[in-house]
Amino acid sequence: MSNASLSNARAGHARWQTPEALRRISRRNAAERRFKLIGLGAIVLSLAFLALLLVIMLKNGLSGLDWSFLTGSDSTDPDVAGVWGAAKGSLLTMLVTLLLSFPMGVLAAIYLEEFAPRSRWIEWVEVSINNLAAVPSIIFGLLGLAVFINTLGMPRSSPLVGGLTLALMTMPVIVISGRNAIKAVPPSIRDAALAIGASKMQTVFHHVLPLALPGILTGTIIGMARALGETAPLLMIGMRAFVVTPPGGITDPSSVLPMQIFLWSDEINSGFVQNTSAAIIVLLVFLLAMNGLAIYLRNKFEVRW
Amino acid sequence: MILTGVLLAVLGLGLVGWFAARGRARLLHTGRGTMHSMPGYHGWHVALWIVFPALIAWGAWQAVMPGLVDGAVMADPVAAQLPADAMSRAAILAEAKAVADNPDAVAFNPLANTLAGPVRDAHGRFGLIGALLVAVVAVAGGGWAFTRISANYPARTRVERGVLGLLLVASLMAILTTFGIVASLVFEAGMFFKDVSPIDFLFGTHWSPGSARGDNLGESFGAVPLFWGTIYIGAIIAMIVAIPLGLMSAVYLTQYASPTIRKWLKPMLEILAGIPTVVYGYFAALTVAPIFRDFAASLGMSNPSTESALAAGVVMGVMIIPFVSSMADDALAAVPRAMSDGSLALGATKSETIKKVLLPAALPGIVAGVMLAISRAIGETMIVVMAAGAAANLSANPFASMTTVTYQIVQMLTGDQEFNSPKTLSAFALGLVLFIVTLILNIIALRVVKRFREAYE
Repeated sequence: MSNASLSNARAGHARWQTPEALRRISRRNAAERRFKLIGLGAIVLSLAFLALLLVIMLKNGLSGLDWSFLTGSDSTDPDVAGVWGAAKGSLLTMLVTLLLSFPMGVLAAIYLEEFAPRSRWIEWVEVSINNLAAVPSIIFGLLGLAVFINTLGMPRSSPLVGGLTLALMTMPVIVISGRNAIKAVPPSIRDAALAIGASKMQTVFHHVLPLALPGILTGTIIGMARALGETAPLLMIGMRAFVVTPPGGITDPSSVLPMQIFLWSDEINSGFVQNTSAAIIVLLVFLLAMNGLAIYLRNKFEVRW
Repeated sequence: MILTGVLLAVLGLGLVGWFAARGRARLLHTGRGTMHSMPGYHGWHVALWIVFPALIAWGAWQAVMPGLVDGAVMADPVAAQLPADAMSRAAILAEAKAVADNPDAVAFNPLANTLAGPVRDAHGRFGLIGALLVAVVAVAGGGWAFTRISANYPARTRVERGVLGLLLVASLMAILTTFGIVASLVFEAGMFFKDVSPIDFLFGTHWSPGSARGDNLGESFGAVPLFWGTIYIGAIIAMIVAIPLGLMSAVYLTQYASPTIRKWLKPMLEILAGIPTVVYGYFAALTVAPIFRDFAASLGMSNPSTESALAAGVVMGVMIIPFVSSMADDALAAVPRAMSDGSLALGATKSETIKKVLLPAALPGIVAGVMLAISRAIGETMIVVMAAGAAANLSANPFASMTTVTYQIVQMLTGDQEFNSPKTLSAFALGLVLFIVTLILNIIALRVVKRFREAYE
């Protein structure tokens, strides 16, 4: 290294060492730290809100959770009122939703991903699926009210109508996650099956679908969890019946868990504060279990090709 | 009960057909050696021919049966006593049907009780005819398909064609749903606009459906205060909370957090999105609203209301945080690595790179995400129902009680209602506006996201 360049380097080094330059660097580093802290602060603040919500619900509701609360039905007396009637309504509603939206969603996903020709018609289907997934849930309630109840004359407040309405809402979610799962199956699987003489339909149903199933199931569970927590569309179709006995079938008037929470939150009697929080705990436990199952499925069966 | 019984019978018949056809095809198979289709496909072919025509027949019968039952009941001598005017006649008939369905029920009108017998008879008779019809169709379809079984019959191709049709029908359900939404909203809203002119509805500033009487209907259905409340709560207050928090948490998670921390924090943040809105609504009403009310009182406002736009908006904002965060996450991830690397190589610090390079480059994606978030917030119902209040105020005071489009839809359609009154129909007009606005926001946002992705590929 020549003398000249060495002295240049020294001079450069010296230029970085001036008090002014050092101040600037430390200022920039401080800004860097500040920015990072703001980011962390944003997350911590959001999670603190979540923690506050959970703590308040637990504090208010935990003492109300006992066997008679879990097995009882709605009542005007907060000490007697229980959650089983609404839970059974939720169960029946979810059953209808699952039986309709899962097969429909999976079949639609298969068609759109594997068989659909590239045509204008199919483009319309895709656009409407993407939009349906983002339509406010209350609009589905209006649809249910206008079509299922007023036009087709189905029994009001019943799990049948509730399940149908929620199925229409859940189907796009299942189609979208199903398509992603089917897309993730590598083409070599299909090629291999086709090469040994399987028909297109056999390829899809014997090879692609089983490999995509864990992904589809994960999406289905998440969609069902959303439907389970949904209140607004069910409010539209009148699933706010005061049900003292649990519904016996899918055509009986019934209530659902989130609706029970809503109805109790409106009660003036302060005993219902405890009941509302306890019902919220029950609902959250269900949702947590479903989401946990979805995460477990994803981790256990997810294949990286 | 007839419904499940017939369905189960049809499915059972299909199963029987499947086994019988497969067995017969197997015999052929052992005799001949080569066949066009595997025996199982012959089984499916017969089963499909049993189940589908039977289900179609069943559906058709369900559609015509009520008319036939009514006709039979009208022909009954008891029906001669029915009042002439159509409305009360229909009411008594409906009551008679309820009594016929449920023997414990007692009708209000004595005539309905006597009519219940004929109704039950007609129901039983036509139900039996329907069941027979379904059985005949199923047997005919299955029998025809069964005679087709032969070594050369292309059962597999036929079955696959049938399945393809099924797949197509399933995918058309989405269009049908969209069509159903548009048709029902437009139809009911059209009935509403017959009474109230769209101009009064969209631009009027006075909303008081409770006092709507006679011919000055238009004056009571001015929806501007609702639109303002919706925008103020969903697009302003909620976004003031959700955008900074969501954006900064996305920046932290993608740029600063180590993979382990990210693995833990991200699902925890997503729990916020998984909590049902009714829980948020209860939390807003129980905890957040009183805090804001006390705060407003300490600011010197005279008797602030418990229901405030602020409480609903803030809680809604928190609910939207994970959504904004994940949209921003995607947008940041779509920016090519070379851009931030270039900035870092020039000596910029990480935060300078984020502020000056990454965020501007990801801006279209972030804006699209915010639009989707707004469309979600303005369609949100339970939080505003429980925390925002019913008073249609045209005010910019965040502590005031304010109402939204979704709140009014719920308000108009629950409780004592007569269908076809302008009050209930206005809910559908509001729903139509909500649907159109969210649709536009979604379409624009999706288009922006698509173009944005293409730009960096």
